[in-house]
Amino acid sequence: MEQYLFFLTILFPILGACLIPFLPYRRRTDMLIYLEFLCLVTSALVLTLLYLSPQGTYTLFRFNSRLSVSFHLDAMGKLFGAMVAFLWPLAVLYSFEYMKHESNEKSFFLFYIVTYGVTLGIAFSENIVTLYFFFEALSLVTLPLVMHTRTREAILASRTYLYYMIGGAAFAFIGMVFVLTYGTTASFLPGGVMDLAKIGNRTNVIYLVYILSFFGFGIKTAVWPFSNWLPKAGVAPTPVTALLHAVAVVNTGAFAVMRITYYSFGADYLRGSFAQYTVMGFVLFTIVYGCSRALKETHLKRRLAWSTVSNLSYILFGVVLMTPLGLTGALCHMLFHSFMKITSFFCAGSVIYKTGKNYIHELDGLGRRMPKIFILFAISAFALMGVPGLAGFVSKWSLAYAAIDSREPLAYIGVGCLLVSALLTAIYMVTILVRAFFPGKDFAYSSLQDITDPNWYMLLPLFVFAAVVIFFGIHPAPVLELLASISGV
Amino acid sequence: MYSHMMLLSLILLPFPAGILVCFAGKRKHLLAACFTCLECIFMGCLFLGQVLPEVELSAALPKLCGFGLQFVLDGFRGVFALIATFMWAMVTLLSAQYFQGKEQVGRFYLFLLWTLGATLGVFLSADLMTTFIFFEVMSFTSYVWVTQEETAEAISAAKTYLAIAVIGGLTMLMGIFMLSYRYQTLSIEALLEISPKDSYTWIAGLCILFGFAAKAGAFPVHIWLPKAHPVAPAPASALLSGILTKTGIYGVLILSCRLFHNDRDWGFLILVLGVITMFLGALLAVFSIDLKRTLACSSMSQIGFILVGIGMQDLLGEENQLALNGTMLHMMNHSLIKLVLFMAAGVIYVNAHSLDLNKLRGFGVRKPFLKLSFLTGALAIGGVPFFGGYISKTLLHESILEYGGGFVFAIVEWIFLLSGGMTLAYMSKLFLTIFIEKNTDTLLQEKYDTQRSYMTLPTKFAMGISTLILFLFGLFPNTLMLPTARLGEKFLAAEYTEYEAVHFFSPENLKGAGISLLLAVFIYLLFIRKALMKQGQHRMLWPSWLDLETLVYRPVLLKILPLLFGILCRLLDCFVDSLVVLFRKTLYKDTPLPHERPEGSALSDFLGGVCNLWQRFANATYRKDSPTQRDYVHEFALKLFAFKESNFIISRSLSFGLLLFCVGLCLTLWYIIL
Repeated sequence: MEQYLFFLTILFPILGACLIPFLPYRRRTDMLIYLEFLCLVTSALVLTLLYLSPQGTYTLFRFNSRLSVSFHLDAMGKLFGAMVAFLWPLAVLYSFEYMKHESNEKSFFLFYIVTYGVTLGIAFSENIVTLYFFFEALSLVTLPLVMHTRTREAILASRTYLYYMIGGAAFAFIGMVFVLTYGTTASFLPGGVMDLAKIGNRTNVIYLVYILSFFGFGIKTAVWPFSNWLPKAGVAPTPVTALLHAVAVVNTGAFAVMRITYYSFGADYLRGSFAQYTVMGFVLFTIVYGCSRALKETHLKRRLAWSTVSNLSYILFGVVLMTPLGLTGALCHMLFHSFMKITSFFCAGSVIYKTGKNYIHELDGLGRRMPKIFILFAISAFALMGVPGLAGFVSKWSLAYAAIDSREPLAYIGVGCLLVSALLTAIYMVTILVRAFFPGKDFAYSSLQDITDPNWYMLLPLFVFAAVVIFFGIHPAPVLELLASISGV
Repeated sequence: MYSHMMLLSLILLPFPAGILVCFAGKRKHLLAACFTCLECIFMGCLFLGQVLPEVELSAALPKLCGFGLQFVLDGFRGVFALIATFMWAMVTLLSAQYFQGKEQVGRFYLFLLWTLGATLGVFLSADLMTTFIFFEVMSFTSYVWVTQEETAEAISAAKTYLAIAVIGGLTMLMGIFMLSYRYQTLSIEALLEISPKDSYTWIAGLCILFGFAAKAGAFPVHIWLPKAHPVAPAPASALLSGILTKTGIYGVLILSCRLFHNDRDWGFLILVLGVITMFLGALLAVFSIDLKRTLACSSMSQIGFILVGIGMQDLLGEENQLALNGTMLHMMNHSLIKLVLFMAAGVIYVNAHSLDLNKLRGFGVRKPFLKLSFLTGALAIGGVPFFGGYISKTLLHESILEYGGGFVFAIVEWIFLLSGGMTLAYMSKLFLTIFIEKNTDTLLQEKYDTQRSYMTLPTKFAMGISTLILFLFGLFPNTLMLPTARLGEKFLAAEYTEYEAVHFFSPENLKGAGISLLLAVFIYLLFIRKALMKQGQHRMLWPSWLDLETLVYRPVLLKILPLLFGILCRLLDCFVDSLVVLFRKTLYKDTPLPHERPEGSALSDFLGGVCNLWQRFANATYRKDSPTQRDYVHEFALKLFAFKESNFIISRSLSFGLLLFCVGLCLTLWYIIL
């Protein structure tokens, strides 16, 4: 029974989405009802699964005795699944309004909802083969979304996207093969599955392979030098940039890196090796690099995308600390960053939807015309900066604490990087707010006459997300305890 | 129990109240004034009920914001919480007049009240995390005060303010983080027991100091202060100057009296910072010709005095009674003085619409009420006997004398006295210019003299009360001031048990004030009147380029660093992409499409090209007189075409066949015969 529940949860949105173009809708809102039906039922299925929390492993199909596509529910999967299940219905509600002005919305929603199922597949995957399978599937189903507008720019961006993803897959594949060869099993087990007897004196090779697979899976988290695809993919419609390229796709990258680090290679096995220092070096560099690029960027969505690049590396920084506290920090930032960044992206999207303005210097004085949107944006901006009382502060603190606690010299530098990055974040986010709210004494508000806040389709998800950001900031204790229990502190 | 709830609600209520006031329509002023006055009254009740019977009141909101918020109300904190609420109440009374007919008042009140909550949170915090949280909130909410007017200067000053606040806040967070990791506690009380102090503690301490000193306006992070205070609306500048800088001092006190309790090196560091700030502030104020800027620079200088006191506390060790009381009293006095002076500046600005001293000359000649208030403030800040500032400055001066300490401290003492003199000199400049001298523009002077209702009733009330309190405090040093100072001794970690009576009006104490007074006369008469003024007009002689911000901070932070990182980023940015492009252009190049010629062949093109070249050469040299313009490529192509065409015709004709036949026959015959 539970076996079928797993398959149903993953396949329901995929199959349901395939019907989207063929159903006869009398009005446009009929489509919304169908879309929300798909999302809410899927989310309900996920919640049922979380509630029942079946312990077994369920195989969908089997290639041979070792390779199979199978599912399992553990604490980390539950967290990721719950997060996705919370975000998707709200994001669809927002997208429905946003896509009003765009063409080909049926194909857009088809892929948008198929992605939901694929992401759940990643959350529930039991072994590295399943993870790899869904990981690749995710690259492919999101490609049409990047290409959606069919402009020359979008096609170029999607080509870049494809190059990076396929390159990543190649690296990830190497990692997968090595885990299958030198591991006791392909499954994810806390503490790793590496078989020391089989490895013998090939330790350095395994470390090298870890670095390769880190970058392979990490391409989705846009770690430098593979970070360029993310800002370029910003040409996609905002719901895609917000949900996929700030939350779902990029977090599956982080999730996959967590899986291979803590559940396949094993954090204890990697800690203190050159592999750890190499990847940490890249991650720390990306933290500062992403922020600096965001500072230089004048395009609103691209600035947020660069900010995502930097924040994703915060998560990876926690991951590559290779300690339980580090994993707690990483999970915490993964969860909180999703809410903060989806809020800021949705705000940016609302501005684009309402005014068609894409560049930061065009935002002058909009704070007065779209007060709700910009107050919500301010909340997310302050949270991203790490102002105490909002979610970002909690996760940054736990990351920095984990870094100091790991007693690695490189991690101390990491704390410095977090600090520099917080400063740069403050600058690039606050300049937007200052432009919007304080355009100067002589600013002609009459030029923004007929601009207002968007309707509740857009505002409801935003309010919910902002409320979550504030709630986690003010009362983070239960979440932190939950995360600590997941990572086994 | 009730008092715990009351303490918490006093801190947290301004946040919802701010939103309420913001949307209150026309009754904004009334509502805000009522709220702040109530807040002040309740804080006063709490203070009288809890602090004076020497009961400490602590309250906590556990687990909030991750670490829980802890508050405590003791003597020191109580005094400053009370002063803060009092200043807010007075300032809201003034705001009604100040913001008459201005835009965006709701926004101002919203952030005014939020800052009240945050400031109370800072002063009443019992652990550093709580301090930090409210400190950050305060920095961001008070940013709106500075930018409120939205003029170009305001926006630029606000940017500087925000930059300093953010950099300071983050550096402070780093220090707090280091302390928290090492000692597992952030409780302010527990910091006293920390030992030993190694370089780790020092780094953490310096990081925290940076954040707090930035807010206090100490050198070298004072740059925001002379810019931000003048552009903010007067009610806000009174608070910025009077109480917000004190939150920074509060933090410095936490460090100096807790973490580095009686640490001489630390004391010396603070002393040096204090001396530089004190002197530099006074110097800037002497040169300034803008009313509010002078007052702002004066604030900076007074903060320097306070820092000197804090430094002396740590240097004197266990016998720091004088320094300790002097510090606390000077903090308190300065808040009250700046309240009066900035409110007066607000009134002046509302009526005269200018802050330029030359335009304001003679404004207050016929305004006795304002004149008296301003005079009280000026004399108090100048340290004239029988006024508040004299008491605190004497205590501070005595503490320097008490330490002795040789040549260095003799210099410190003289700079102290000189700064005191300069204080009095620039205050005389302000007072004489605005309230005694007459304007050369007789029309303007007449306008000033005929102004009758220059203050509304609430403003008058606020000015009156503030001035009265300030005056009373100065008049009864032993009955009002010293007992208040003693309330703070527990927080400042005093260790002595016996109290020495201080004879404030003894000849040796009056001597210090006398020297300052004499210096003031010299500075005013010889320097300000002779060197800085010309034909009775104040001149701006401070070179505009001589400014730490434009000279160092802006070029380094905005030009040099971005340039370096920009180049680095550009290089790194194109790393992968250029690899891809490289492969696309080399290994994975597409096979070129076959190129179709419109006419001719490779041979005809080549020959034509050669002929064309030759023609150009010929045209340039020996055929200059009759140049030819023929396209040989085309001609050769035509020839080729004709050639091919005729070949085609020939090859198909009967005669060509016969011809070939003949040739073949001949060849055959030739072969047979041979």
